[in-house]
Amino acid sequence: MVNSLGVELKEGTEGFSEPSKAGRLYITWRKLKKSRLALVGGVIVVLSVAIAVLAPIIAPYDPRQMFYGEEMLPPSRKFWFGTDGGGRDVFSWVVWGARVSLYVGFAATLIELLIGCGIGMIAGYFGGIIDEILMRLTDVINTLPTLMLLILAVSMFQTRSIHITTLVMAFLGWPFLARVVRSEFLSLRESTFVEAARSMGATNWRIILYHILPNTFSTIIVLATIDIPSYIFWESALTFLGFGDPLSPSWGILIDRGTSYLKIAWWISAFPGLALFLTSLGFNLFGDGLRDALDVKTSV
Amino acid sequence: MTLRTYIVRRLLLLIPTFFLITIIIFTLIRLAPGDPITIMFASSRKSVSPEIIDMVKKELGLDQPIPIQYLIWVSKLLRGDLGYSYVSNQPTVEMIGLRIGRTVELMLLAEVFSVTLAIVMGVISAVKHHSQIDAACSFGALIGYSVPSFWIGLMLLLVFSLWLGWLPSFGVQTRGVTFSLLGLWFDHLKHLILPVSVLVIGYIAYLFRMVRSSMLEVLRQDYIMTARAKGLKERIVIYKHALRNALLPVVTYEGYSLGFLLGGAAIVESIFSWPGLGKFEVDLALRRDYPPLMGLNMVIAVMVLLGNLCADIAYAIVDPRIRYD
Repeated sequence: MVNSLGVELKEGTEGFSEPSKAGRLYITWRKLKKSRLALVGGVIVVLSVAIAVLAPIIAPYDPRQMFYGEEMLPPSRKFWFGTDGGGRDVFSWVVWGARVSLYVGFAATLIELLIGCGIGMIAGYFGGIIDEILMRLTDVINTLPTLMLLILAVSMFQTRSIHITTLVMAFLGWPFLARVVRSEFLSLRESTFVEAARSMGATNWRIILYHILPNTFSTIIVLATIDIPSYIFWESALTFLGFGDPLSPSWGILIDRGTSYLKIAWWISAFPGLALFLTSLGFNLFGDGLRDALDVKTSV
Repeated sequence: MTLRTYIVRRLLLLIPTFFLITIIIFTLIRLAPGDPITIMFASSRKSVSPEIIDMVKKELGLDQPIPIQYLIWVSKLLRGDLGYSYVSNQPTVEMIGLRIGRTVELMLLAEVFSVTLAIVMGVISAVKHHSQIDAACSFGALIGYSVPSFWIGLMLLLVFSLWLGWLPSFGVQTRGVTFSLLGLWFDHLKHLILPVSVLVIGYIAYLFRMVRSSMLEVLRQDYIMTARAKGLKERIVIYKHALRNALLPVVTYEGYSLGFLLGGAAIVESIFSWPGLGKFEVDLALRRDYPPLMGLNMVIAVMVLLGNLCADIAYAIVDPRIRYD
């Protein structure tokens, strides 16, 4: 097996050589450890989570605090990433921004998982009219440009809040996951172990939740890992375009604010963007590694 | 099933999809808390008398029940009436007509460059699998799809137009300078470089991965071995036997890419003040000018639907093995 960056991964053999420890998690970990890029991704992910959690300790100043007379200073020992047009410390803002971004990424993915798995399970297991409607709906939502739909949906709300943005993104983001879960259920529901469970008198819900669902976990985990950075990206893109929550210190706001001072104070836009870039790179690297280690196909 | 029945069936399938899209766009607007009128007048500081509100409501048909409003909207839509702007009272069709060319221009160029580069990079990476050039291309692609497009756009603008002064930073033409015809064309070309580059960076990453993995898959097939075994030149094996089949999934993706590029256009056009549909969408949404916003989204949806249709038909033509269902 070969991962996306051409790093050779020996399939299975490694994990099975020690049968006592050859749990699924263990095998995955052994494979993941082989791919250096996936590990780099994992480290970036852990670091960004740590920064988000420890923001109040790491950030030297309150991100909203304005230092009068110290506007638009270049990076220095006092202000590591410089200050913005209002004299706010860019470094502190970037640190607190990690909190906003990760909140958006994880929360939206969690909601997406709930809706997407739920609908995908039902459609794949029971089929029929729900399946039909779901398939049309995913077709349509995959057809429309995501950003256009998001702009349309977010602009409908009179108040701009980070929670609304998160909800809207999750509500528009679940169809693809639902489709993948559906196709897994479609093939698994015919397997012998399902038949066995049914013959023992298991109810449909028992079969769905305890017998089939656990078999789709690896696919779901990989998809979720890849979805987190895309939600983070959409939130900052929306904020950048002027549809964000003006009250939460997100990276998108700072990048947007920096555009008017780009020539005289490049650091205002450059650093939050770099943070955004590194975070999504981390999640993508880790997600790719995970996909190869779990041997999951992420297309329908 | 013949190709013709397949095409007819695909065309018929467009009808329910189209109506589903109208329902989604309509409900997105109507589900929102607060009616359009309140939102419409929210920006004006002066208090608006209830008589005026009633009048505007009647004029816009907002006093009707929601299902009737939907039917009125759709029936107008089918007759090509996309409504009028709340702000300027201009017809939506006219406003879209002024801008659509600019977006198509950006997208066509981005498409041509991305496809060419992605195929070249993908083939080289697959053929020289595990080589340094393969690793470099793959890593580049990873960066390409991790880097936020709006940020890389700003950084390119910073470096190439603000610091180096090589390229213009906004618009489609330099204002206030008279050019010869050739100069005019060249000036426009310079305005295109940055926006197209940003679109290409985001898009090429996806395309490259697709070409590479599909090429790797094909190169493993038995018929490639046969072709080599009978002594064909490696170049012919790769370009005539492998690439043709490897490009099949890419062809389908091409049609679907329209949606991807249009989304990117919203960002790119906003950064470079490019007067196209993407910037139009952002401006309309910021102004909460709903009738043209709904109309524009319908136009975009139809464009993407037709793109997908073309891709499916093209796929059916190039790949006779496809089952038409």
